[in-house]
Amino acid sequence: MVLELHKPRPVWQIMFSTHHTDVGLLYLITSLGFLFLGGALALAIRAELFFPGSQIIADSMTFNRMFTVHGTTLIFLFILPSASAVGNYFVPIMVRYKDMAYPKLNAIAFWMIPPGGALIWLGFADFTWYATPPYSVISAPGPAADMWIFGLKILGVSSILGAINFVVTILKCKHPDMSIGQVPLLAWSFLSSSLIILVALPTFAAALLMLLTDRMGVSGFFNPVMGGDPIAYAHLFWFTFHPEVYVLVIPAIGMMYEIIPRFSRRPIFSHSSGVAAFVILAIVGFSSWAHHMYATGMSFTEKTVFMVGTLAAVPASAMHVFNFLATMWGGRIRFSTPMMWAVGGIALFFSAGAGGVVNSAMPLDFVTHDSYWVVGHFHLFVMGTIAFGTIGYVYYMFPYVTGRMYHEALGKVHFVLAMVGTVMVFFTQHVLGLFGMPRRIYDYPPIPEWVAMNQIATIGAMLIGISMAIWLGNMIYSSGRGREANMEDPFGLGGKYYYPHQQKNPVH
Amino acid sequence: MRYMLGVVALMVVVATVNLSYAATEEPGEYLDRRTEIWNLFFRMMVVAFTIGAVVSGTLIWLIWRFRESHPKAKPTKYEGVDW
Repeated sequence: MVLELHKPRPVWQIMFSTHHTDVGLLYLITSLGFLFLGGALALAIRAELFFPGSQIIADSMTFNRMFTVHGTTLIFLFILPSASAVGNYFVPIMVRYKDMAYPKLNAIAFWMIPPGGALIWLGFADFTWYATPPYSVISAPGPAADMWIFGLKILGVSSILGAINFVVTILKCKHPDMSIGQVPLLAWSFLSSSLIILVALPTFAAALLMLLTDRMGVSGFFNPVMGGDPIAYAHLFWFTFHPEVYVLVIPAIGMMYEIIPRFSRRPIFSHSSGVAAFVILAIVGFSSWAHHMYATGMSFTEKTVFMVGTLAAVPASAMHVFNFLATMWGGRIRFSTPMMWAVGGIALFFSAGAGGVVNSAMPLDFVTHDSYWVVGHFHLFVMGTIAFGTIGYVYYMFPYVTGRMYHEALGKVHFVLAMVGTVMVFFTQHVLGLFGMPRRIYDYPPIPEWVAMNQIATIGAMLIGISMAIWLGNMIYSSGRGREANMEDPFGLGGKYYYPHQQKNPVH
Repeated sequence: MRYMLGVVALMVVVATVNLSYAATEEPGEYLDRRTEIWNLFFRMMVVAFTIGAVVSGTLIWLIWRFRESHPKAKPTKYEGVDW
């Protein structure tokens, strides 16, 4: 498993390897690269909004391009690939198989990400990560919009290939002695999210093709001038992307299921309830997509059905939280960096979930719709839960990947700054939304409350930026010069690990 | 006895039909629906905030009580074994 410490290999050998740990490493480095690129755009957006009026970004079109690429990058090029990195590293080890089921397909799925990312970044489209029709159909400038569509198409195929690989690896390649019930919860999280991808993503794939042919003028699915309906796109998009929220969050919860028992020095309180909650989330994720569209003239009955469908996710999410708390209860918890991120992630997961209950209740949804409340809500999920779980896990797997330890004190500084920054940015944005500030705007009137809250949010964003710079420095320095890790027990927890250091370094 | 059963069956059928009619009847004007749903919303929020306070409080207490450096902390039975 340890890659470079004792037997360094040339870079090309890793790049063209099909071994799951090598592909996992490639996923990890690529996703972190895109995290820093997308994060830099976020800092520019927040700097622009520090004061009313034009600050550092030339015009509103450039601003639109920046938040479009920011959102697209962090969802498709950071969160999904970083989950794939963890899955590639750990799922075959957890199910006790020599590799992923289809190693070459695995490498192909990874190598579709750089061209997909390049199309998105070189095009720099301006129609939001939702590709808002009819603007995206009628007047979004090409070739940026078309490059975005092709980029997303490639990334979608990559996700489907990866999902097929995870499902087959877990269901068909697990050790014969291991029942499906014994598969660790992290692997279960990948099984659940992969099944969601396989069901949900083809709809968006179809919508992208329809969008492309609409833009070419040969069809009018979403073009009102040709009798089409932009709301149809909304249904197709959210049918994929509400379940996709669970695709993003379920692996992060799976990562917390690895960290919390380890650092609490107790096994997970209830493995079966964790499995049940993953499966329930995967199913009810499909009953809530239209809650994004309450304001589109749906009937009261339809809205009620989707409100109830959305709330159906609450019990399953609560099962995870209670499982974490019950695991910590009676433990002897070591608050090393990964554990701090995981616990912070639980707290913010709960806060984000509470905001979701408010969003799903249609009366308040009309107040918060398209306001900064929504921005605060989903960022609390993607940053507060998903990124926190993922970053914690990157710290956790660091010694297994590099054979060295990261700098613990810097890891904790990273966590504290990011936690404070996250609360400052995204809690404030909830309130800003209640004060009426719409999302996706380049400039705003100098209302004192709006100015003050935007400034708090920008300072919080800068804190997150500083913390991420510390992290980057820590990772780079420690991977080359960090102290050598005790691979039997890198975090000094006094336990024995059934994985992952037992995996041998591949020679392909 | 057979008649009795018939009556009981009829009662059940009538009650069910009644209930079905009541359920399908419109609850009132649009404004009333809004009132209903706002009431539901406020009740939900009371429940959500209460549970939120309990869970957050429990999490904070767990972090304080079961930390490694707590005076009463003792090794768990799983330390040093395969699990």
